[in-house]
Amino acid sequence: MRYVYLDKDNLGKFFDLLKEDYKIVGPVKKENKFVFAEVEDVSEMSLEYIPTILPPKKYFFPQKEKLGDFNMGDTKMSQTSIEMQPTVIFGAHTCDIDGIECSDAVFHKDPADPYYSKRSKMITVIGYECMFQCDDCATCVTMDTHNPKAGYDIMITDAKDKYILHVNSPKGNEIIQKAGELLENDSEEKIKSYLVKLREEKMKKFKVSLIANYNELKDIFDGSYNSKIWEDVGKRCVSCGNCTAVCPTCYCFDIYDDVKLDISGGDRTRIWDSCQLKPFAEVAGGENFREERSSRQRHRLFRKFDYSVNKYNKFFCTGCGRCTRTCMAGISLIDTVNDLTKEKNNV
Amino acid sequence: MSEAKQKVRVAFFDFADCEGCQLQVTYLNEAFLGLLEHVDIVNFREAISEKSDDYDIAFIEGSITRKHDEERIKKIRENAKIIVAYGACACTGGVNGLRRHYTDEEAKEIVYKGREFPLEAGRPKPVHEVVKVDYYIHGCPTNNDEFVKAVKGILLGKGYTPPSYSVCVECKLKENVCLFEKGQTCMGPVTRAGCDAWCTSYGNKCYGCRGMLDNPAEQGQMDILEKNGYTIAELKQKFETYNMCRMEAEKNG
Repeated sequence: MRYVYLDKDNLGKFFDLLKEDYKIVGPVKKENKFVFAEVEDVSEMSLEYIPTILPPKKYFFPQKEKLGDFNMGDTKMSQTSIEMQPTVIFGAHTCDIDGIECSDAVFHKDPADPYYSKRSKMITVIGYECMFQCDDCATCVTMDTHNPKAGYDIMITDAKDKYILHVNSPKGNEIIQKAGELLENDSEEKIKSYLVKLREEKMKKFKVSLIANYNELKDIFDGSYNSKIWEDVGKRCVSCGNCTAVCPTCYCFDIYDDVKLDISGGDRTRIWDSCQLKPFAEVAGGENFREERSSRQRHRLFRKFDYSVNKYNKFFCTGCGRCTRTCMAGISLIDTVNDLTKEKNNV
Repeated sequence: MSEAKQKVRVAFFDFADCEGCQLQVTYLNEAFLGLLEHVDIVNFREAISEKSDDYDIAFIEGSITRKHDEERIKKIRENAKIIVAYGACACTGGVNGLRRHYTDEEAKEIVYKGREFPLEAGRPKPVHEVVKVDYYIHGCPTNNDEFVKAVKGILLGKGYTPPSYSVCVECKLKENVCLFEKGQTCMGPVTRAGCDAWCTSYGNKCYGCRGMLDNPAEQGQMDILEKNGYTIAELKQKFETYNMCRMEAEKNG
């Protein structure tokens, strides 16, 4: 929509202005990691950060969420009112914004998930562009998520002496209008060409660790279902479910009821589930479609590189690197995908 | 409609243990009062002095060690409709299982150093090695949220099955920094969840008190621990702390 400059010294004022209307969550340090958490002052945030333990997905689709109450005998459940104040996710990386776009595709698909939709309406996304690669686990260049494209209201890009703000939605525009005095205008052409230059420079600092390119990935998975590589991955996996919990595009959940002791009623909750856990694919009679860890790990990556393309026309890997980073057993998405690529190329 | 409600009669019994899990129940506070509307506690040495042999549900704390303990638990099994193994000692043998490393004589010598000890020293067993157990509430100590959930399930007739997945699942949902990423180790990946990552959320590590998963990736976990600089002997010790009885049973087929 439009581009403006923000003086670096004015970031604090810009933040304070936002705070008048929004609750702000941003990346903050937690021991040697980062998490998205509520911030009161711009100084609490670490804008240059390695992807947070959990992605900002948790604001749209919380780990544990009450769905409603019910009374025994009633056929309908009373839907819980979602109390969420208008929230700005400040400093989201482009990979995580891609993750939000993936979950939007899932939860807004007919029938739309009312809980997700309600939260989604309350959230404004202000991104912060990565000007260098966070670490070796990231594969954002191959997944084409390293540059801002869509899915945000405002994108902040560090342009050395000042910030460039790309305003990408009416919501973002409202914020920019309110912040008018803090901003500097220039011709769109000029700012755009500056951005092109900045992105050319930044590319020198990014590494491509996947052998395959974006267009080859789907083909590689198409032929890999019976590969021996899955067995090797399965042997190392301990089914801790970390890889799916930290994934910005995993959306599986379980639902359980908590009934009151007097059996007059109860409430219903949904909680993140994981295809890496053994009971996930277990059905009545004890049959389990994915009994082995190898088939569960295969399923996880097929959900990212194959099934999602068929269903949503989109890779569900954002290249954020979280699954590789979090795996205690050292199962690396980069190694697995590269091994599959090599196997395919040898045939 | 003023028909008197038949309350479920509940009893607590302790065997070889520290009674810490029973003590947990007394910390339930308000939830306890809620439960008392539905149950009568007829045996609970930790909190009341009355006794009765007429009960529906028996919570068994502690591992079964000596001959007369076996007779006692068999009698309880006859009296109770439902037996719940309550706490690590009852569910897995707990730390008591480590006693199985030694003969009676060795154990007495380690503990009493040559002093006279006239009592019989037994071989610790989880409750299910002696009588049939209907439900398990794991932990050292047990977690009260899980206790209430389990008791509710049992009273409602749907029972309670503890999670079959690992502590990591609950820990990650809380967005804790993984101990392995801080250069420490943790038994979370192979330990049964249900505690809501109690220890790791408060700065401790997981010792595995809820027992090993039914289907643990032992080799995978060994690789992880070894990669973090542990020797085979140390690894064995970590697994044995709460799983000695099960490991011995598996070894003997």
